[in-house]
Amino acid sequence: MKGKIEVRSQNTEFRRERAAKPPLSFILNCDFWILYSAFMKLIAEIDGEKRELEIKRDAYSVVAQLNGRHYEIEARDIRQGIFLLIVNGHAYECRLNQADTKRKSLEVSVGTHAYNVALTDPKRLRTAQQPGAHSDGTTAQIVAPMPGKVVRVLVEQGAQVEAGANLVVVEAMKMQNEMKSPKAGIVTSINVKAGATVNGGDVLVVVE
Amino acid sequence: MFRKILIANRGEIAVRIIRACRDLDISPVAVYSEADTDSLHVRLADEAYLIGPAPSIESYLRIEKIINAARACGAEAIHPGYGFLAENADFAQAVLDARLTFIGPSPEAMRLMGAKTSARRVATEAGVTVVPGTTEPLESLDEARRVAAQIGYPVMLKASAGGGGKGMRFVATEEELPSAFDTAQSEAAAAFGNPEVYLEKAVERPRHIEIQIFADQHGNFVHLGERECSIQRRHQKVIEECPSPINDAALRASMGEAAIKAARAVNYVGAGTVEFLVSDRTREFFFLEMNTRLQVEHPVTELVTGFDLVREQISVALGEPLSFRQEDVSWHGHAIECRVYAEDPDSNFLPSPGRIMHLRSPSGPCVRDDSGVEAGAEVSIYYDPMISKLAAWGRTRSEAIDRLRRALDEYMVGGIKTTLPFFREIVRDAEFTNGNLDTGFISRFFERRAEAALRMKSEETDEAETTRRDMAAIAAALDYMQAQKQNSTGNQTHAQEEQQSNWRLTGRAALHRRIYE
Repeated sequence: MKGKIEVRSQNTEFRRERAAKPPLSFILNCDFWILYSAFMKLIAEIDGEKRELEIKRDAYSVVAQLNGRHYEIEARDIRQGIFLLIVNGHAYECRLNQADTKRKSLEVSVGTHAYNVALTDPKRLRTAQQPGAHSDGTTAQIVAPMPGKVVRVLVEQGAQVEAGANLVVVEAMKMQNEMKSPKAGIVTSINVKAGATVNGGDVLVVVE
Repeated sequence: MFRKILIANRGEIAVRIIRACRDLDISPVAVYSEADTDSLHVRLADEAYLIGPAPSIESYLRIEKIINAARACGAEAIHPGYGFLAENADFAQAVLDARLTFIGPSPEAMRLMGAKTSARRVATEAGVTVVPGTTEPLESLDEARRVAAQIGYPVMLKASAGGGGKGMRFVATEEELPSAFDTAQSEAAAAFGNPEVYLEKAVERPRHIEIQIFADQHGNFVHLGERECSIQRRHQKVIEECPSPINDAALRASMGEAAIKAARAVNYVGAGTVEFLVSDRTREFFFLEMNTRLQVEHPVTELVTGFDLVREQISVALGEPLSFRQEDVSWHGHAIECRVYAEDPDSNFLPSPGRIMHLRSPSGPCVRDDSGVEAGAEVSIYYDPMISKLAAWGRTRSEAIDRLRRALDEYMVGGIKTTLPFFREIVRDAEFTNGNLDTGFISRFFERRAEAALRMKSEETDEAETTRRDMAAIAAALDYMQAQKQNSTGNQTHAQEEQQSNWRLTGRAALHRRIYE
């Protein structure tokens, strides 16, 4: 009996304390509310397909509007870069990875599906860069696809090359890859020598 | 039993050997390069020794450094794994000269079988049929032209010291020969330190089937059946299974017999694999080469036969007789393995080095994942990009495929591109599930895949796909909002810090009072 009374008194005390001081989570909720009570407007490009997105987050609850589709979502932050989104009883585990630092797009995996997502915030005018096209029809840049070592340069500056001609051999992970010209033209610039170490994205040769 | 074994390798195979050592209560010793300081094999071992900078030529291929490490720590034996020095007879000899045990065959057997040209000679003398071609390394491009014209195109250029598809080129016409010859030679020189290449006739629509053999120091030879490794890209295996979908007991017995003949001819000891090309139509088989080491794909044989090949290697190296006879070997069910590479299947399998941000390894009934990495690991540009081998077992091939499909869908690797999406498609491909395999499977699969993608594009994306895409956008937006919030709170940090420090000071004073009062 005595024990029971004690428990009750503790409970009352707890309630009183709670009334006087809101718990930490409540304060955090308020923080979210103040910062994000308004819908944020963004433009999302998913594998090149544009969507207008309006989104509002209030702790675990997310309301979003995409091209007229309305979603009410329970959102959980599992870990840095992993979100669990529950919509109408369907669970979507979304994992974010920086797909390409140069292109400022994200690779988002939803289950076993992967998408490239580029976000634009019109308010900040911070346009995500368009994925760089390597060839604009008149000039073609041959870009190192990954970090590696140049084994051989097979052409000279000014050389006339056919489409598909081997230009440079780059070795990475013990495999030699022959970098071919995407078009017929003249080699206008060679930026590397045999033996050079290159980074992914470096322009090796330019064909015009 | 050995007390201590040094493992002259890295990655998943080093981890696999460490596990066998643990089973036998042997202390495993790792060696590592500067790039591998915090890798899994180092952390799982009892001792670890740095043997040099990241490039393998300065570390994992440095014979004297590895032997010095073994001597210094008092290891009694060295396991070479596969790749690196595993098929280097000079290394095996140096191990013996240091009065240590080499877990593998004798240097003589390695020399004879290691160079593909002498292996072909040995096999022919032992009465095993080989594919038409040269038995000597080619001296020059002119000689290559002459031999190729003699046996007829298409031909295959191969590195004498090779393996794993490096220094290997398919040549369809004479025009392609000069460039292929140069590339094969320089690739062979870079990968194996030996530029020698040879030439043989390319068998069309061949199946690549290999026989696992085992021999002890007492002259006992057994075979553990076949593995079908027809699914290859760039002449490198990506999916292996045991048994072959052909699953013909008579063919298995005759191939096993031929494999043992070849192994016996070089007084082979330990685990070895004899590779054959099998004509899908006639079921004729040709000796291709012998791998004088443990194979990457050994788990599928283990799953189906129940033997632990690494454990058996260790006891054979100790001089014990084989723990089983030919009549004890039986094949139960079916196992399939996928090699998970850090490569982008959408960009022609280009290596995708980088840091693994997220990792969820599959588990559950009859699934085995032999991995060499954990979340946070860096896949470096210096080594083979294979990060794990995923295998599944079933009573039938179709049950094994069901489990493999489930495990592949469960497997999540974030931060780098992997071949997982490619495998998820293959296990759903009708030609694969029907078992219609040959070495041209991948290129035909890619054609089907391109057609399927076109069909998909013309159709409207369904509702589930639309929702998934929306969720991807929402997740990206939530991440962006979080970053924004962090930035805005970041600006207040200074003011907050001052405020906090007052609290902290008062709190600390109060704490001290409580402690000392």
